[in-house]
Amino acid sequence: MLSIKNLKANVEGKEILKGIDLEVKAGEVHAIMGPNGSGKSTLAHILSGRDGYEITDGSIQLQGEDLLELATEERAHKGVFLAMQYPVELPGVNNMTFLRESLNAVRKARGQEELDAVSFMKLVREKARQVQLDEKLLKRSVNAGFSGGEKKRNEILQMAVLEPTLAILDETDSGLDIDALRTVADGVNMLRSPDRAMLVVTHYQRLLDYIQPDHVHVLAGGRIIRSGGKELALELEERGYGWLLEEVAA
Amino acid sequence: MNGRTTNISEALMGAQGYINSLPAGDGLWLAEQRRAAIDRLFDLGLPQSRQEAWRYSDVQGLLEQGFVTSDEAGEVAGDEVRAHLLKEPVAARLVFVDGLFQAALSEINAQGVSISSLRGAMAKADKTALEALGSLSGAGRHGFAALNLATMQDGAVIRVEAGNKLGQPIELLHLASRNAAGRSLRPRHLIILETDAEASLVERYLALDETSYFNNLVCEIVLQEGASLLHQRVQQESRQAYHLSDLYLGLAADSHYRGVNASLGGIWSRTNINNHFKASGAVCELDGLYLVDDEQLADYHLDIDHAVPGCESRENFKGILSGRGRAVFDGRILVRQQAQKSNAHLSNANLMLSRQAEIDTKPQLEILADDVQCSHGTTVGQLDPQALFYLRSRGLNEDQARRLLCMGFAQEILDRFETESLRETLSESIHARIEASNSNMI
Repeated sequence: MLSIKNLKANVEGKEILKGIDLEVKAGEVHAIMGPNGSGKSTLAHILSGRDGYEITDGSIQLQGEDLLELATEERAHKGVFLAMQYPVELPGVNNMTFLRESLNAVRKARGQEELDAVSFMKLVREKARQVQLDEKLLKRSVNAGFSGGEKKRNEILQMAVLEPTLAILDETDSGLDIDALRTVADGVNMLRSPDRAMLVVTHYQRLLDYIQPDHVHVLAGGRIIRSGGKELALELEERGYGWLLEEVAA
Repeated sequence: MNGRTTNISEALMGAQGYINSLPAGDGLWLAEQRRAAIDRLFDLGLPQSRQEAWRYSDVQGLLEQGFVTSDEAGEVAGDEVRAHLLKEPVAARLVFVDGLFQAALSEINAQGVSISSLRGAMAKADKTALEALGSLSGAGRHGFAALNLATMQDGAVIRVEAGNKLGQPIELLHLASRNAAGRSLRPRHLIILETDAEASLVERYLALDETSYFNNLVCEIVLQEGASLLHQRVQQESRQAYHLSDLYLGLAADSHYRGVNASLGGIWSRTNINNHFKASGAVCELDGLYLVDDEQLADYHLDIDHAVPGCESRENFKGILSGRGRAVFDGRILVRQQAQKSNAHLSNANLMLSRQAEIDTKPQLEILADDVQCSHGTTVGQLDPQALFYLRSRGLNEDQARRLLCMGFAQEILDRFETESLRETLSESIHARIEASNSNMI
């Protein structure tokens, strides 16, 4: 489903990604782990089309389509979704309006009919219940004054509504206590599906107790230095990243 | 008065001629006020850009238009008017076409409210109704306000009786017809809320045609003890029009004025709001939103005088500037030495959608008392790239994302327009304006 080949990228002239290869099949959940500054978030941002990165080599394909050729919103139309580490607060922008405009923009681009207010309301209420987001938050401004947990749940709600093909979760666990983490993870697990690929970007193994990955990759210095099953995450939890970096250096 | 107001002597001659032409019914005291206004105009002259208060809103372009006055209103079909009325029931309605009251389109019988047109009150030399006229404005703070008093023609004279709490708004609708082209209009309103009265006033200036005219208006509002007014004002003149609005507020003890303003139209528009606290416990809240695009100037000048202790003022103005639009915000708050326990907060935020747009913003807090709570803040910024990315990553294109963010920026002020149909039509107009400025952008 997702195929990244020899991806190299610079930020302000400095090479951050130095040749990433990654294949993710439909239905799979892959975890990208790694120390701070390894390029994990850069990879997540590049996939979603954020400005400020210069791609110097390589390719990214989603279902055979060249993502690098597409604008951010076009990627969203093709099913790319990035759950942000720091969801942006949008004062004055009603959460429900935002969700509806997003969904209808995506539906329109996919040649589907736009949802009317009533059907949308029904849909969003049901999804909010699924991801345990208080309905009151739907009437408020997007993320404005939301707690850390509420912001992340709001991201998961957007994901549930937009039903992406490729969901990327960027440090979704950051800033969450254990209960909030569990609720968010429950939401994510519910969205696991044979038609959907997921990339879970995280520094800590903790999140992977709740969202069990099929594959784990360790990113360090702009390269994937090790790939394995979920037991690799456990090993990292126990031993940290140091041994692995040394082993690779040796 | 048929003189062109290209310069002061012509304005003076015109005003003099206008007064001489008035019927004898125009009471003697009114004629005296008009003459005093002419003297004032003679002393002040018309504003010039070398005066600090007019530095950023040059009147030269306005004077060069040579607008003339007229006592005729254009013919406007009832349906054309009805399309612009508020959708909810109103306590009373005054419709003006080209500055002149239209009795057939209005409804002025309301329980516990005396309403007349200014022209009607002047014709009857109704001294009781007009007693407070000029009590707040004086002969005028600048030449145009003096000119308005000297040559005032028509407007609304409203007095809400003591203790009367109106559940429905009073609507003042001003329409400029095709006939307004080349004309100088000079409406003047006098609104009085007696002790403990409560009302909501919707005052709008709309155009039925894209013509060029000058709306030079003055509004005086007297709130007696404990009175409360929500004043919703919308300036949506023709894009070719000049609009100058002077609002004078006099707030007695424990009265509460809430003013919500929106400026969208006009090639040149300026609103001066002067508030004078007369006794303790009064609250003055001002919110405003202005949108300017190519060839437009919007100017708000606030002058809030905390002359007595224990009053509260809050001002929050927001601007969205695109194209080569220009805006001026000058917010002056004076807290006099004796005005202890004053509470004054001023904020002005500007969203710049283009590099060619220009804002001159000047918050001025002069605090001479020592036991007060005051603050002010000004921001000038662009749309947040992170927010734009966030919206685009959810499938919205750049135009949609910009529009949502601009509407979000405006929403705080829009929400303060409590009359629903007004808020909705205004929201739609702003929406359309932002779409237009989007397509104007490269």
